[in-house]
Amino acid sequence: MLFNSLQFIFFLPVVVLLYYLLAHKYRWILLFIASSYFYSVFYFPYVFVLYAVIIIDYVCGLLIERSEGRKRWWWLVISIISNIGLLSYFKYTNFFIDIFNETAPFVHISKHIKNLDIILPIGLSFHTFQSLSYTIEVYRKKQKAEKHIGYFANYVLFFPQMVAGPIERYERLGNELRISQRLSYENFSHGLRLVLYGLFVKMCIADNLAPMVDEVYQAPESYYSSSVWMAMIAFAIQIYADFYGYSTVALGAARMLGIHLMDNFKQPYFALGIQDFWKRWHISLSTWFRDYVFFSMGGSRVKTFRWIINVLFLFAVSGFWHGANYTFIVWGILHGIAYLLDKGVSNIIPTQIKQLKLFSIISMLVTFAVVVIIWVFFRAKDLTCSLAILKQSMSYGIEANKHLQVSCIPLSMLAIFVSLELAIINTRFDNWLASKQISFRWAIYSVLILCLLLFSGIKSFPFIYFQF
Amino acid sequence: MKKILFKIGLAFLMLVLYLVLANIMYEKYFYRQDLKESDAEMLLKIDSLQFTSDVLYFAESSNATLADDDTCLLTIAQMIDSLSPKKVMAIDHGAIHAKTYKSLIENIKDDAKVKTLIVTLNLRSFGANWIHSKMETALMKANVMYEQIPPIAKRIKLAFNGFDNQNDQMRGHIMEDHWRHDYIHLPDTFPYKNVRAWDNAVGGGNVLNFTTPNGDWDMPRIELATSYIKTYAFTIVPSSNPRIKDFDEIVEIAKRKKLKLVYNLLAENMEYADSLVGKALTDVMKENAQMLIKRYTDKGVLVVDNLSAVAGKEFTEKRWTSEHYTQRGRWTIARNVANAMSIK
Repeated sequence: MLFNSLQFIFFLPVVVLLYYLLAHKYRWILLFIASSYFYSVFYFPYVFVLYAVIIIDYVCGLLIERSEGRKRWWWLVISIISNIGLLSYFKYTNFFIDIFNETAPFVHISKHIKNLDIILPIGLSFHTFQSLSYTIEVYRKKQKAEKHIGYFANYVLFFPQMVAGPIERYERLGNELRISQRLSYENFSHGLRLVLYGLFVKMCIADNLAPMVDEVYQAPESYYSSSVWMAMIAFAIQIYADFYGYSTVALGAARMLGIHLMDNFKQPYFALGIQDFWKRWHISLSTWFRDYVFFSMGGSRVKTFRWIINVLFLFAVSGFWHGANYTFIVWGILHGIAYLLDKGVSNIIPTQIKQLKLFSIISMLVTFAVVVIIWVFFRAKDLTCSLAILKQSMSYGIEANKHLQVSCIPLSMLAIFVSLELAIINTRFDNWLASKQISFRWAIYSVLILCLLLFSGIKSFPFIYFQF
Repeated sequence: MKKILFKIGLAFLMLVLYLVLANIMYEKYFYRQDLKESDAEMLLKIDSLQFTSDVLYFAESSNATLADDDTCLLTIAQMIDSLSPKKVMAIDHGAIHAKTYKSLIENIKDDAKVKTLIVTLNLRSFGANWIHSKMETALMKANVMYEQIPPIAKRIKLAFNGFDNQNDQMRGHIMEDHWRHDYIHLPDTFPYKNVRAWDNAVGGGNVLNFTTPNGDWDMPRIELATSYIKTYAFTIVPSSNPRIKDFDEIVEIAKRKKLKLVYNLLAENMEYADSLVGKALTDVMKENAQMLIKRYTDKGVLVVDNLSAVAGKEFTEKRWTSEHYTQRGRWTIARNVANAMSIK
């Protein structure tokens, strides 16, 4: 079920109402059914893939806790192989088949393998990673194994964040799900504010920018470089608005049930460097990779060369996590290189200069420009298209004959969005609004509701991160 | 508690106020643009034509697609108009089907001048190949604009995905599922039991042995044959076929609005189907057509059977399946419809 769907508009209030009407001991059943239903709307059979993940990791968690020594390690390996195996089958099989078909002729193999008719279960990368974090934490003895399969299932399935994160740890979400939540006006109003703002960001910003971006990415060679740059910047804003919008609705929906999810974004385009960017963008994924991959490889305690390789490997894997395409790997590696350069440069620049306001502004602009350029690889359908976009962005458009037409609606929506984001620096929309007078709050609600009704995009673009 | 209920009540009232306000603004300033963006401008057409014509001709691209060397550029509807004393006008758009016709017909008002509807009964549109085609999302989106609800409600439905908007991959997957599992009424001795098996066998080349003079596989011909199989090899199950449901509902709407209804069963390229794939396929096509004719004749609809009326050479497309005819083919269909209407 999509957040920006009529189904969800009816589904959420019904679940919230039933949740508070039920006694605490039965709520896990409601959440389990609601989450299963929420997921099955996408494609019913795949809810069983999720059940498989739940059963495997639930059993592995228990067995890890009960075992000692080498056995513990083996149960963890089984959990990792099962999760990564499922993810690989659904997400990467056809990618590797394509690689085989492309390379086979070079080694004189005439066999051609047909692609499999596989549909990737929505958000599989998210729930496998979330579930894996639990077994790893149990293995590391930082988390006790959950005895109640219902609560564990809800940790993996919890509908507000199951398909695109934030990727929560059991310590936080699992335990919050166990708490007997009471209906509170504060939770309800904060939740509704976040849902409203999230929908505004997704539907009025991302969905209005998407057609412009699509237009240029379909035929970049036809557009003047100024238009290509506009599309590149538009995509940077689109993907942020898309994912941030989704995460904000997720936070709001969970908050209405009394559950506090982690913030997945902290205004990443105000970052002062690539290192800073990754502390603000998709925080739950960055911390996952840091805690479970980077630290396992020795973290920062290894020699410089090894550390560089580790960082590049980490970013490449993170890119590959996003999608089975070379473009994502290149996107990841470029971010890794930018991260290393940023780290190197920031060690050289004296602290007095870093404290200058002008330096902060320049850093912010440079970071934004670097991120915008690297996003090209994320958005383009293949490497050829990425390079065509970059080439066109730097050419004088000798063969180009088109300018991108931008209507005033996306620009007006963007102006409202940027104003709000500037207003809520260092806080969050719901908390910021809570500190304001009722008349001001209603003025903001009115603007957002009218924008949603009149200016939301009607081309219905799916959440970008759902495909991961 | 009273305070909370008051707040909720107030919020609800505000929301209603916003909706009314937004509806006024939307209808005045943005509605037409959205009709255009949703490719739903047929709504404007039906709003005007229902008061200026006696007969409305609902069709997909078969109505207005011409051959390159046509000297007569009339559409089928214009040809019927020229053959009939009544004023016939077309409501047409590429790739639409009965679900769109149904929504458009609902927009005909009680005081409209129009008294007769001719609706194309396109055999192809009953198959999984069309029902689950990638064009469906755009069609369903346009369909929202034809619904009889306030304009702002249409916008909300579009923005909040209140229509069948499955992605292309999912539609392809469902189509494949139908090809693999749907029953086709074929002789017991026939070696292939579903579209996928039949298509794979023919696509492999060995079944039909289409070769070029050089002895190579004649791939264009083989691909055309498989295209005919994927398009026409199905047996309509009335209880579950969504097109049947749509055409049944059109019958009900026409009755309710006291409109005379004519179903124009479009010509398919039976000669090609026979020469490319064979009798097994043409028998399935004929059986489906007969079922449709009987079903709708029994319901009081005048069904004009054009299935085999147009010769193979009068089809403009030689490389894929379509109902696009040369001027001779269009005249044949127009004459058959006009004659049937004047007789009844």
